[in-house]
Amino acid sequence: MSKRILIIDDDDDVREATQICLEVTGDWEIFTASSGREGLIEAIAKQPDLILLDVMMPVMDGIETFSELQANVITQSIPVILLTAKAQPAEIQQFTQLQVLDVITKPYDPFSLSDRVAQAFFAD
Amino acid sequence: MSNRKLNFEQPEHHSDTNRQTSDSLEMLLHRMTNRIRQSLELSVILAGVTDEVRFFLGTDRVKVYQFEPNASGEVVAESIYQNNLPSLLGQHFPAEDIPIEIRQLYLTKRKRTIVDVAAKLIGMSSLTNDCDNASSNSKDEDEQIQFRTVDPCHVEYLRAMGVRSSLVVPIMDEDRLWGLLVSHHSTPRVVTPRELEVVQLVADQTSIAIAQSNLLESTRIQAQQEASINRVGRFLHSMTQMQLKQALRQTIAALQGSGGRVYITPQNIVDQAQLYLSGEQPVLLPAIENRASANIQIEEHPDWQTWLDHAMQTNHKIQSWAIAQLDTNSLPLSLDQAFKPTEIKSILTIRLEYRQKILGYLTIFRQGIDLETVWAKRPDSSDSRNQYTLRSFETWYELQLNKARQWIEREIELAQILGNHFAIAIYQYQLYQQVNTLNASLEQRVTERTAQLEQTNQKLVREISDRLKTRADLERLSHQHELILNSAGEGIYGLDLAGKITFINPAAAEMLGYDVAQLQNQPMHKIVNHFNVEGIAYSWSENPIYQTIKTGKIQYITNEIFDRQDMSNFSVEYVSTPILEQEQIVGAVVIFKDITERQIIDRMKDEFVSVVSHELRTPLTSIRSAVGMLSSGRIDPQSSKSQRLLEIAFNNSNRLVRLINDILDLERIKSGKVTMIKSSCNAADVMEDAVESLQSIAEKADIAIEVIPLEINLWIDRDRIIQTLTNLLSNAIKFSSSYTIVTLSASLQDNNVVEFQVKDRGRGIPTEHLETIFDRFQQVDASDSRDRGGTGLGLAICRSIVQQHGGQIWVESILDQGSSFYFTLPVDIQLRANGRSPIRKDE
Repeated sequence: MSKRILIIDDDDDVREATQICLEVTGDWEIFTASSGREGLIEAIAKQPDLILLDVMMPVMDGIETFSELQANVITQSIPVILLTAKAQPAEIQQFTQLQVLDVITKPYDPFSLSDRVAQAFFAD
Repeated sequence: MSNRKLNFEQPEHHSDTNRQTSDSLEMLLHRMTNRIRQSLELSVILAGVTDEVRFFLGTDRVKVYQFEPNASGEVVAESIYQNNLPSLLGQHFPAEDIPIEIRQLYLTKRKRTIVDVAAKLIGMSSLTNDCDNASSNSKDEDEQIQFRTVDPCHVEYLRAMGVRSSLVVPIMDEDRLWGLLVSHHSTPRVVTPRELEVVQLVADQTSIAIAQSNLLESTRIQAQQEASINRVGRFLHSMTQMQLKQALRQTIAALQGSGGRVYITPQNIVDQAQLYLSGEQPVLLPAIENRASANIQIEEHPDWQTWLDHAMQTNHKIQSWAIAQLDTNSLPLSLDQAFKPTEIKSILTIRLEYRQKILGYLTIFRQGIDLETVWAKRPDSSDSRNQYTLRSFETWYELQLNKARQWIEREIELAQILGNHFAIAIYQYQLYQQVNTLNASLEQRVTERTAQLEQTNQKLVREISDRLKTRADLERLSHQHELILNSAGEGIYGLDLAGKITFINPAAAEMLGYDVAQLQNQPMHKIVNHFNVEGIAYSWSENPIYQTIKTGKIQYITNEIFDRQDMSNFSVEYVSTPILEQEQIVGAVVIFKDITERQIIDRMKDEFVSVVSHELRTPLTSIRSAVGMLSSGRIDPQSSKSQRLLEIAFNNSNRLVRLINDILDLERIKSGKVTMIKSSCNAADVMEDAVESLQSIAEKADIAIEVIPLEINLWIDRDRIIQTLTNLLSNAIKFSSSYTIVTLSASLQDNNVVEFQVKDRGRGIPTEHLETIFDRFQQVDASDSRDRGGTGLGLAICRSIVQQHGGQIWVESILDQGSSFYFTLPVDIQLRANGRSPIRKDE
């Protein structure tokens, strides 16, 4: 059974390009959500094996979404990789202190992303 | 006198018995007493006495013989009758004519002698008791005339003088034998006891007259001396050098000298002796062996001193004195040589002493005098000529030339008194000189001291001036420092070693919410409650300022937090620097500033960078993913996925370009680097142009654009205003539902501005976003802009352009009903100023 991955990102192009990238490079089942709220619903509904979560989103940002995921018994154990366009060291440091599996800075190389996702599953 | 004398020349010769009446005797005594009393001149009295006695006795010659100190004698008064006997007046008789034993009898026994030459008898009568004669105890017996044989020599002597009868009565002056009253008669004559008594009475009266005359002479001399002393004293008291010389002249005159000198002993070894000379002076020849003494005065000559010491006689009254009669006293050879060439024959020297101090010498010189003596006979008995003289009593003259004059006692006394005056005057003069010298010295010292004081004074004035200048400088500096401290925007305070505030500027107090006065001398650490950047309070000993005070280390601290009085706080950064006085730390000065605003700006910057980073990285993510996949060859280029990735890459490339353009454009406008190229443009034209460029997009979205143009000229950058209108219209189209109308209108406002309005009927903008919507990347929903090809910078650019035209931009919105964006632009003022309306009327 292939691993299932939920991509939560408000940018349609990023979400679509990332989905294509992961579908091509790995045997993974991809779901997407265009906002934090939608991502929470999807996570509860689909209970993916990994969530790729964009940080900077309107209304409910990635950090808030992560907190909600952590607060929910159903989603709290799902590993989360943060995807962020905020690339300043202080910001990165702030994200790594959260209980996330990894922090990947945009714009990422699609194969590197695929490798990191694969490592996540391997570690698991 | 002359009448009386004439009477005497009518003698009643040889009528003894008639004349010797008691009446005539009383008359005689009365006349004589009157004569003596009427005149004080002895010569007159004596002349009267001889006249009266001769008249009384009726003898040929009556004379008064006066003894001299050397026992010779002179006939000083005489009365002669018809030249029966020769005149002896003025003639001198040698001492041996009246042997000393006879003179003793005259003196001690008051013997009167009567000689009868013819009988060769001499009768003697004593007035005093004769111890040798026991039988003559009573006065009566004394008055008895004892006759005996006269000495043949005496008889011979009287015969030679032509005398046949003589009567001699001694004249006494006190206890001294003054002289003799003598009566001679050329024929034998008997002298009665009565006559002897009368002549004795006359002799007694004469003694009284002599005493009175002596008293008169003495008084006269005393008066003369006092006058001399006064004259000399007058010159001496004025005490100038010239008058000292005058005093010397007066002294010489008073002492009947020919010259004199005053020698004043030098007061100390550096002074010279002072010498005042008058008249002829001795010439001291230098001794051959002692040339050095060439210039010394006689008073300084050792021989003079030796002579003085030897000859000096001390008068009990005042000074020592010495006299020299150069023809009888011998001076030392060197001095004798000095006087020899001169006429000086006698010297009187008075040592001038005052208060046991020898001040000098007063010396008076006298020249010799010529003495002429008329002798009745040669005084020298061995001379053979005496034989002749004895017989004839022929007079002869003795002349003594250049004879030294004796200094008599009263002259020495006068000299001593005058010497005393000189001594006192010289002493006073020297005192006066000393006082003058002291005064001069004092004046010199006063002058020097005054000069010193003046220098000190000038120095003080300079110092005061310097100090005043320094004080003024200090005050100016202090004022400048105060101004600087008061004007400084940053908080500045000083702390002492205990951390208490020694000074604080108004900015610091204001930041902390206190008055300056409230903070003076307060512990600053407790006032501001230092917190570190983590918000943890720490103690004074941990305070970096404490370290500055302790170690002198300058501390640069940022992101600390200070409390205000109202318990609010603010972030600060400060630098603490030690205050050093003579290399000792006496406190610290702290300069701090409120960095709250800076932190906000920093945060905004960080956020902007973060947002820009996000906005740039997001399309890049899509591009990189798409291109990465396509370039890997792991995806079929002909597949739909491949096609889709290409589209994503292309769209996001365009988005990136727009974004970069907008970012750069906005920054250039905001920073003023893009100049607005303004010109007069018609508002309606601009509105039409903007609408036209969007017409196709609007049609595609099924939205109508309504334009309500305003014909008015504006002073604008046409392209930038079209950009602004396009941006606002584009947004309006984006956020309008299909089949709605977007309206663009303009209206002229009162204040020469035109207000544009872009109105849509879209979903509206939430109230909380109305304030921030013109900020960068402040879309209501970021996905909206991306969906609609926006960058999130359009409204920020619009605002910048409007602001560069001096206008304003704002938005009014009602949710679900639509929004209206407004902005204002200035009318072309110049056109109005030229009297032309900016409004185009023909259209």
